[in-house]
Amino acid sequence: MRLHPELLFSQISLYLEKANCGCDMKFPALQGWMVGSGQRPLRKQLAITLSAIFAVSILVAVLLLNQLFGLQARNLIDQRSSFFMDAMLAVREYTSKNVNPIVAPLNQGAGGFRPESVPSYSAQTVFSYLKAKPEYRDYSYREAALNPTNLRDKADSFETGVIERFRNDATLTTIAGEKATPLGDMHFVARPIKITKESCLVCHSTPDRAPASQLLTYGDSSGFGWKLNEIVGAQIVTVPQKAVFEAKDRSLFTTALLFVIAFVAVGLITNSVLNQLILRPMREISRKAEEASVTPATVSFEERNRSDEIGLLARSFERMKQSLAISMQMLKDRQSRP
Amino acid sequence: MSLWFSRRRQSTLAVLAIAALLLNGCGRDASTQVSLCGPSGQLRVGYVGADEGRAQGGQAVLPDQDITRVRDLLTVASRCEVVLEPVASPEQARLRLSSGGWDAAFLPPGLAALALEGAGSTDYNLLRPLGQRSNSRSVLLVAAGSERRSVKQLKGARLGLLPRGSLTGFYLPLYNLHGLSLGSVHYALSYSELLEQLRAGRLDVIAWDAALPDPGADVRVLNSDPNTIPVGALVLSQALVAADHQPFLRVLDQSAPQLPPSLGYVAGVLPEAQQLQRLRSVVNSVESWTLPLEGQPYAVYGRKQSLIPEERR
Repeated sequence: MRLHPELLFSQISLYLEKANCGCDMKFPALQGWMVGSGQRPLRKQLAITLSAIFAVSILVAVLLLNQLFGLQARNLIDQRSSFFMDAMLAVREYTSKNVNPIVAPLNQGAGGFRPESVPSYSAQTVFSYLKAKPEYRDYSYREAALNPTNLRDKADSFETGVIERFRNDATLTTIAGEKATPLGDMHFVARPIKITKESCLVCHSTPDRAPASQLLTYGDSSGFGWKLNEIVGAQIVTVPQKAVFEAKDRSLFTTALLFVIAFVAVGLITNSVLNQLILRPMREISRKAEEASVTPATVSFEERNRSDEIGLLARSFERMKQSLAISMQMLKDRQSRP
Repeated sequence: MSLWFSRRRQSTLAVLAIAALLLNGCGRDASTQVSLCGPSGQLRVGYVGADEGRAQGGQAVLPDQDITRVRDLLTVASRCEVVLEPVASPEQARLRLSSGGWDAAFLPPGLAALALEGAGSTDYNLLRPLGQRSNSRSVLLVAAGSERRSVKQLKGARLGLLPRGSLTGFYLPLYNLHGLSLGSVHYALSYSELLEQLRAGRLDVIAWDAALPDPGADVRVLNSDPNTIPVGALVLSQALVAADHQPFLRVLDQSAPQLPPSLGYVAGVLPEAQQLQRLRSVVNSVESWTLPLEGQPYAVYGRKQSLIPEERR
């Protein structure tokens, strides 16, 4: 089950509202629980207070980081998608400049059509090799066109909408967003495919210009009528939203775990320091005070030399001990007088 | 009691909230639906259809609106990203099958026989029959006024065929012309284009399917192959057949009315592999020969496996 932080946040708010609404006595109770009312040892009280503060801090931090990491995960995927599209453009360019001049003449001969001369074929084939790597398995790449030669690349209604947006707005270079599919919601990034080379029109203008092997492979019904500088399709990279959430959750989990570890360490150190600085001297002063109440002469509050609050307390006890000793001596003198 | 409960709730609320958020990081998708994907992480599906060479010139093998519908249907059935490739040329389909480029395919009989044979790196299994049974037979047509009266008189003729991969348009005609030297061999994607070229006098003889409408009085049948042509088939790679493919097949069967009627998908029925198996020897024989190139002379020569007569099956 996926937890929605927004829902959790609203539930907490609701709970706090309920705690506040018409139940004034609960706040002092909460305050007493947090600050302590002398019911527990200081060390335990401090542990409770620190745990509560840290828990709330982590909760707030995680809620905020959830939003931040979501944004970062999306940005990362957009960046990677842009890289894919740039890489595929480079593959197209290479095919167009280096491979096509060699392979295209073969397509004019008696043999079958060799798709290796087609930039789109190269780009999609290279991407299929890339997709075989586990880290890219979630990514899909399509070169969808309104009127493709290979019907595999035929744009569906969503892709047609994206391509039309590019055709209607020449300044638009990238479109990103979410789309619903039978496999769930997908995040997509798209860029236009524009015909910038006259050489593309050999295969895509009219059937009579196209190689016979192409016609025998794909027919003469699609992939023709393209024009120079026309946007004919779009490069589209899609990633399941689930992958975006998983990337975000991984970062969030790691960060929250680090928070917990750091806060636990801080709590333990604080507790230890508190024990060394305050609790142990106080317990010692308390023990000496107990002893001084019976035999004040045998007790010495060495802590009085300290310049902190413990020293102040020790000095007070020392004065009290001396007063007690004087009083006891006076009482003893009075009793011994005839 | 209520105060105790409220304190208890206060103390546990924050802990629970953090734990829930942390656990959220390790959250798993509750979905347990099995997906049927190929080794590429996608399901690559070829679509040639049930019939060979029926599309008229300029007509796509699958109309635009059907491409999206079939792709969506296959996506729902497989729970995997589907790459649907409608292909007009049997030759193109043959290359895809032989390179293992498809995980599943809707094929006409010739290609189904080829897929069954183990076209190359991937073996396929027949899942469902496609198309209606008809009087489909491979015939050779010549112009009505042609002086050629027998197959032997086709020596030096210009022959029109469908691309390699077609049973009625390629394998059977060549099989029946074994031993002849042809003037040249030409290809077209459809029978109608071949007929057009025969009428125009650019070809002397063409492959034809007897199940097609009567071509007219200006042409006549020179030779008719005796073999009954089986229906096509939906095939699935053996790797996916070994996986749990039943949910995929169940959804396809339930959604059969949504598939293009021309496909003739028959739900819940296993294809008759016997007839296809029988014709495999024809496909095997022809595939083992050096095959003709477009516009080139060609001697139909090579090892010819004999067919098991139908009645002895």
